Amino acid sequence: MTRLLRAEWTKLRTVRGWMAGLVLAALLIVGFGALFAAAGHSSCSRGPVEVPCPVPPLGPDGLAVEDRFYFVHQPLDGDGTITARVASMSGQIRLPDATPGVRNVVSGLVPWAKAGVMIKESTEPGSPYAAVLLTGAHGVRMQYDYTEDLAGAGPSGAPRWLRLTRAGETITGEESPDGARWTRVGTARLPGLPARVRVGLFAASPGDIRVTPNTLGGSAASSRFAEATALMDGVSVRGAATGGAWSRDDVGAEVNPDGSVHHPGGLVRNGEEFAVTGTGDIAPNTTQSTIERSLIGSLVALIVVIVVAVLFVSTEYRRGLIHTTLLAGPRRGRVPVAKAAVVGGVTFVLGLAATAVTPALARRIGRGNGVYTLPVSTFTELRVVVGVAALLAVAAVFALALGTLFRRGSMAVVTAIVTLVVPYALAIASIVPDEAARWLLRLTPAAGFAIQQSLPEYAHVTGLYAPAAGYFPLPPWAGFAVLCAYAALALGLAAYRIERRDA
Amino acid sequence: MDATIEVSGLRKRFGRTLALDGMTFRVLPGRVTGFVGPNGAGKSTTMRVVLGLDAPDEGRALVGGRPYRSLRDPLRHVGALLDAGALQPSRSGRDHLLWLAHSQGLGAGRVDEVLGLVGLAPAARRRAGGYSLGMRQRLGIAAALLGDPPVLMLDEPFNGLDPEGIVWIRGFLRELAAEGRAVLVSSHLMSELEDGAGHLVVVGRGRVVMDVGVAELIAGASHDRVTVRTSARSQAMAALAGAGATVAAGDREALVVSGLPADRIVAVLGARAVPFSEVSAHRATLEEAYLDLTRDAAEFRGAAR
Amino acid sequence: MRRELRAEWTKLRTAPAAWWLLPGVVALTVAGSAAAVGFTTCAPAGCGHDPARVGLFGVQLGQGLVALLAVVAVCGEYGTGMIRTTLTAMPRRAVTLAAKAGVLTGVTLVAGTLGVLGSAVAGFLSGGSALPPRAVVGSVLYLALIALLGLGVATVVRDSAAATGVVLGLLYLFPIAILMIRDEDLRLLLWKISPVNAGLAVQATTDVLPLGPWAGLGVLAAWAAGALLCGGLLLRLRDA
Repeated sequence: MTRLLRAEWTKLRTVRGWMAGLVLAALLIVGFGALFAAAGHSSCSRGPVEVPCPVPPLGPDGLAVEDRFYFVHQPLDGDGTITARVASMSGQIRLPDATPGVRNVVSGLVPWAKAGVMIKESTEPGSPYAAVLLTGAHGVRMQYDYTEDLAGAGPSGAPRWLRLTRAGETITGEESPDGARWTRVGTARLPGLPARVRVGLFAASPGDIRVTPNTLGGSAASSRFAEATALMDGVSVRGAATGGAWSRDDVGAEVNPDGSVHHPGGLVRNGEEFAVTGTGDIAPNTTQSTIERSLIGSLVALIVVIVVAVLFVSTEYRRGLIHTTLLAGPRRGRVPVAKAAVVGGVTFVLGLAATAVTPALARRIGRGNGVYTLPVSTFTELRVVVGVAALLAVAAVFALALGTLFRRGSMAVVTAIVTLVVPYALAIASIVPDEAARWLLRLTPAAGFAIQQSLPEYAHVTGLYAPAAGYFPLPPWAGFAVLCAYAALALGLAAYRIERRDA
Repeated sequence: MDATIEVSGLRKRFGRTLALDGMTFRVLPGRVTGFVGPNGAGKSTTMRVVLGLDAPDEGRALVGGRPYRSLRDPLRHVGALLDAGALQPSRSGRDHLLWLAHSQGLGAGRVDEVLGLVGLAPAARRRAGGYSLGMRQRLGIAAALLGDPPVLMLDEPFNGLDPEGIVWIRGFLRELAAEGRAVLVSSHLMSELEDGAGHLVVVGRGRVVMDVGVAELIAGASHDRVTVRTSARSQAMAALAGAGATVAAGDREALVVSGLPADRIVAVLGARAVPFSEVSAHRATLEEAYLDLTRDAAEFRGAAR
Repeated sequence: MRRELRAEWTKLRTAPAAWWLLPGVVALTVAGSAAAVGFTTCAPAGCGHDPARVGLFGVQLGQGLVALLAVVAVCGEYGTGMIRTTLTAMPRRAVTLAAKAGVLTGVTLVAGTLGVLGSAVAGFLSGGSALPPRAVVGSVLYLALIALLGLGVATVVRDSAAATGVVLGLLYLFPIAILMIRDEDLRLLLWKISPVNAGLAVQATTDVLPLGPWAGLGVLAAWAAGALLCGGLLLRLRDA
């Protein structure tokens, strides 16, 4: 087998066009990544002035978060408890203008509008927190540190009693229909929580997300302003409270050029009744550019790799060289395996060289243009970088196996592209309904593209979780395994047929 | 239009290799001209330039006085066989000829005619991919004959043929030449042309080494050498040297004599009563004459020699 | 030119590939359109899909086979070396390419017309609305231009596997890239230069697109003309 591998490696290496093709594929990944990063541009305006877009705050685990809400709070030293009753929740949503220029505002709550009690390290956006809250349509939840979300006992609306208890680094959330019988919702551990924290009432409402078909292809999600107002009473803070006076903060708010807050929240206090109004969300940030978008060139590279891998075997059939190859190694079934190992290995190495440098390069270029790329954990970044290179390598193996099966170059290229690229194109174009699109990305080799998804779906964040937005129906490694299974099947068939059929 | 191929001063370079280096010759009607030279001497390239497939860097090639690419219905002027395997295997032999015929404004009738001429009619409707090498060669010749052209060019038509096929092509080419056509046949094996060609253009390293009639070439290569076998070698050498001949010792009893014709040698030896068993004039084969000529020109030569 | 046309027609007619590719274009176009109409269950006006683009969706699948036909027609000759026979018989290379283009356009127009009309009828029978004539005629022309684009690319690339990769890449990568890019200006630019996205604007009835229907088809025509021009030039300059 070693000899066979060496022979095939020599074959691949000595045809200048093939090696040039594979190197070109790697360069395309880097080139397109840099090109699109350089051509992209993002700017934000504050009033009439164009300003650099604000960099989103980072949460406790280093991921970008959204942390915007209205907070009525007081300091809490050491352990303690906050209790409050959400008497009612209401809100308003701004819809597309029916009459141009006239604001079309209707009352209502978006499903993940939220209000309740919170313990937070500080009012700094991105700082650790835990909250138990009532939502627009998802009942009582306990949420903490942006990504964690626990459901309460059942669907229940206002009025509802909520309670948070701090004991060291542990915070327990409870709910109650009457303030007497309490049920635990969940427990959060906030490591490193300092002695002095903020405790209080909050309200927030993410924008109203509408998904419309994009005429350019795919779907577009647009978010419209929404705010929530919670009427809360029965507020009590027990523990080592200092003073007991309430402060108010529009946490994470944008400030207009004139110094006023953009879309301010507010508190209307009527005796023991607090009406807290807020907008924004406390959640992981999913709206910025992702790391896998910098690897867009891998699609072009994929086509090049498919062509080279097919040519690597189909030219042997066309020129009759396959006879020589089979004579040199009479155990025929090993030939396609050796070829696959060589072409897959070379593709992986070259691809990895490209995918390793491209995200950092694109991030740097993009930052200069005001484009922010969401940070991901080292493990995720590694998975995307290695995964895309592996995707190219497995695609090469798949194409090579098809080339051995069909013997005809163009047929093999067509089949590889039709099974690998076309389902992906169909799935992300809006023409196929989302459910059909998801099945395409579960059952066809195109499932392998899941390996590049860097952001998970969050159940507690409303968003467009469609394939077009980069969300795949299968987990990354499962999707990749589907592609691998297809490649292995094709390679097995190729080995079987070359063993059985006359060359 | 007259039936000639004229090639003058062709030069062509492929990367670092100089494929043609001032190739110049003429092919005249009424005879088969052999186009010989070692592999890589530029035979195929010359033919491709004549057919307008490759563009020369310098020089020009004319068919009947005109550049190939200016010919209307070129197959009525020149028929060519370059690579008999160059057809789409899924198409039948007859369909292959049919589209060629249509490109020259000819009909299906002519196709069946040439198929009969080369003896391929029974297999005409089968996939060309299943043809044997000989059948493909016949199909290629049929394609060359399609337009009944006054000029024919065949690149290595004997390659891979069985002896019967070789004899058939030789005879066929002689017939075509006898009808007044100019026929150019390339080969790297002189022996294949032995009874076929009346004229030879010998090439090496991209240029013409010799442009000569076959009879003339053989005579020239024989160098009037005479072999003498005698049991009294020293006596004979002295006698012949005295008569003005150049004498070299061959193996055992043989002497190679030049400078005296065979009848004079017999007279001289007889006059001095030197015994001899054989006096024979040496006649070179075409092969030997060719090797002699191309010795310097051969590009690829075994290092062991 | 007439002889070249006739020869190329005979060539195409006797190539087995054409006999499954052309019916394949018709079948895939009709089946794809019918499936799209069946999938899109909402009322045509309700879910924001352009009914004409849904009803002619199969064109986006059929185009792959049309491109393949063009590639096979050229690269089949290069692969076997028959191109030398072709150019020996028909040395006016530009004319020969034009003849090939003419024959290919002709058969694609026929297959395209059958496929597009079949889609229209299938859509109408399954309860869709009648398609506007511009979308129908435009889609047929679109397919013919795809054939010419494929022909041009194949003449430039010559190898069938590589040419297939290039053409299918051009057809299917642009739409994906447009969806993956976030920057609006860049998206718009890519959309406007994409042969498929811009070309299919000719089907639009209710969608408001960056380019008008005929301007969009013009983009594809420019691609096809550019590819053919490059192909023709290289065919003239290169040794066969």
